[in-house]
Amino acid sequence: MSAEKKMSRRDLLKLAGAGSAGLVMSGLPVTVIAQDAVTIKVQAHGLDDNQLLPIADIMTARHPHVSVDWVVLTGIDHEEVAAKILALVAAGESIDVGYAATEATQLFAGQGLAAPLDDRITGDPDQDFWTDYFADVHPSLVEAMMYEGSLYEPPRDFNAANMYFNTNTLAENGFDVPGPNWTKDDFVEIARGITKKDDAGNTDVFGYAWINRLWGSWMPWIFVAGGNLYTEERAPGGDWCWDGYYEGDPAVEGRGGGFRWRTPIANSDEVVEALQLVVDLWQEGVTPDIEMGSGATLTGFYATGKLGMTPAGGFWAGRLKNEGMEKGDFDVQLWPAWRNQKHQFGTGGHWLAAGAKAPEEGWEFMKIEVSREGFEASPFFYPVIITTSARRSYSQAANYESTGPANYEVFYDTLDKHPSTSPIPAPPWANPMTTIFTTGTSNAMSGAMSPQDALDQMQAELEALTARQPQYYADN
Amino acid sequence: MTTVRGAAEIGGGLWHWLMQDTMDGLRRRRAILGYVFLLPTLLGIFIFTAGPVFVSFGLSLFRWNIFKPPDYIELANYERLLRDARIAISFGNTLKFTVLAVATQVSIGLILALAVHRITNTAMRYYFRTTFFLPLLMSGAAVAVVMGYIFHKEFGPLNYYLGLLGVQQIPWKTSADWVMVTIVITSAWRNLGFTFILFIGGLSNISQEVLDAADVDGAQGFRRLWSVTIPLLSPQILFATVTGVIGAVQVFEEPFIMTRGGPGNASRTAVMVMYEHAFKDIEYGYGSAIAVVLFLVIMAFTATQMWMSRRWVFYQ
Repeated sequence: MSAEKKMSRRDLLKLAGAGSAGLVMSGLPVTVIAQDAVTIKVQAHGLDDNQLLPIADIMTARHPHVSVDWVVLTGIDHEEVAAKILALVAAGESIDVGYAATEATQLFAGQGLAAPLDDRITGDPDQDFWTDYFADVHPSLVEAMMYEGSLYEPPRDFNAANMYFNTNTLAENGFDVPGPNWTKDDFVEIARGITKKDDAGNTDVFGYAWINRLWGSWMPWIFVAGGNLYTEERAPGGDWCWDGYYEGDPAVEGRGGGFRWRTPIANSDEVVEALQLVVDLWQEGVTPDIEMGSGATLTGFYATGKLGMTPAGGFWAGRLKNEGMEKGDFDVQLWPAWRNQKHQFGTGGHWLAAGAKAPEEGWEFMKIEVSREGFEASPFFYPVIITTSARRSYSQAANYESTGPANYEVFYDTLDKHPSTSPIPAPPWANPMTTIFTTGTSNAMSGAMSPQDALDQMQAELEALTARQPQYYADN
Repeated sequence: MTTVRGAAEIGGGLWHWLMQDTMDGLRRRRAILGYVFLLPTLLGIFIFTAGPVFVSFGLSLFRWNIFKPPDYIELANYERLLRDARIAISFGNTLKFTVLAVATQVSIGLILALAVHRITNTAMRYYFRTTFFLPLLMSGAAVAVVMGYIFHKEFGPLNYYLGLLGVQQIPWKTSADWVMVTIVITSAWRNLGFTFILFIGGLSNISQEVLDAADVDGAQGFRRLWSVTIPLLSPQILFATVTGVIGAVQVFEEPFIMTRGGPGNASRTAVMVMYEHAFKDIEYGYGSAIAVVLFLVIMAFTATQMWMSRRWVFYQ
């Protein structure tokens, strides 16, 4: 009996062959269905906390044959995420829809990794959609997403560098949240006034702190001092957008087809003065040692009452809420005026890969995301603000209802009421530029170099870096 | 036709040569079998180790950003490398880290191994072995993140407890004078377990007769350690030093996560610069040139260590 149960190798092979044939045959109908099914690969920040899931739900509800595959990439800052995307592409992986902030917009566009969207927008039969969208988005955000005349990302969010206050710390020291016209001197007075030291001379409560990075950091001081890292020029073009969707809007006056940053001016007197200001505050103990990072440590200091002021945008409101701060414990104001009150921002959105395997479906996903339906479904903007909405309609009282700040209007006012507001400098070589910027910053902020020496070195390095670049701007 | 016949004859001859029913034939068949077993490993080395090394050599002669066709630029990447101040600083930092980290790992690993080896209580000995070895099993990135908080100047627990002892706040990560010490402590804490367990193994292998003989000859305490134990541990010390140097020259996780190479360039290492150029700045040619130089540096280090070891390594 037992011998009958034994299976010879030949029998096994026969059975395996028959099984394989059966699998192939039974798989045929599946293959037919699979031909219609489309999967788009979309960059996401995480899987468990993926804020894009509602957008994917809308997409699959409208187009059941489309599924979304997430390409999860994280980093402490935008240039790190950009580096991971580049490494992914270098390794032969494909992506259909990526996300980039200002820091990497020209990087991806300049490399031809992202596709221009002008024709898709102007050729879209649903022009009402785009008329509604652009009417709701400040043109400075759109211009910041342009490169050499073409738009590469419809802005989804932005963050201007505004000043956050711990209202309890301010009140304990007899200060009110200042008005929008406050100055650099008012800032220094408040920062010194709320700084508290222990008997050993160590600071217990810091007046002001920031993170060493491109956006935020001490860059806002460079802007209000009248400086920049690079000269700020405008590329020609973009008329298709300004004339087609913003006709009659005074805010489009003087706009072009995106920014060109190509002549380093990092050691100008204005920039040296700005760096000297933050170095002085550090040496006085008003500011803690400055580190690189995403700002997570600062959130903790802030929420525990160890910090009075810090540069941040709308995203900070949600972070503080998640750290346990209540509405009213913090507020926000425009960046203080110095020689001017020119503000800075960074904006972000999704880009369509030039080599996308499913470009039409990818584009549909991008459109859903920036539609009103997409914004209403997006957990980025409600109930806990994670980032500032690029659409004015979703940067309203209702969006800040659970978190605050009371002065939430400041976020969009930075664009609407200040025509000089412009993006952080981010040419196609923004990644090595950021390394040079943060290295030079920490050289001065650690006392290893004087601000002048640190910036002279930064200028020399930026000049060498810029000289090495191929022709990214048309009239180089 | 003649060629086919000739090939068949050669094949037949080889088959006959291999299958000879003699001791030589048996040895040949065994050797062939050995190579067959080695083949997967050799293929792995060629494809995943030697291959990329050769490709890096080739890439280092090009300017290439993956999106556009590579430009052949001869030795321009190497010329740039010689003028690049950041490269010089990062290689200097790497050298400093290597010396400090390997010396710390080997010396403290040895001290801990000697101490634990003397413990007679088996349970306690296992406890300490496990405790010292555990950090090695942790993710380097996770260790760096946690250590980053511990070493925070203003709010880190280390400075808090030092403050209770009256010590002023130490800028562990934000001062050019301290940052390398911090990176070395973090790296050594994690990697100590490897040298420790290696020395524990070496100590267990030292024959009791040799130690007894040393005792009889009057060599006790430090004298016995210096003249008997350490020479007998020298193969392990050599191995720990060689692998320690190879690992230390490639240090990346700790400085990258804890300081991003700062302040300034004070903790920027050679592999960090290579990563930055290749993956952040998409200069694969220049990144490869740095990788080639690093490869040659590691090879030179290892060769020097092996050559010098002839003088002091004692094999039983």
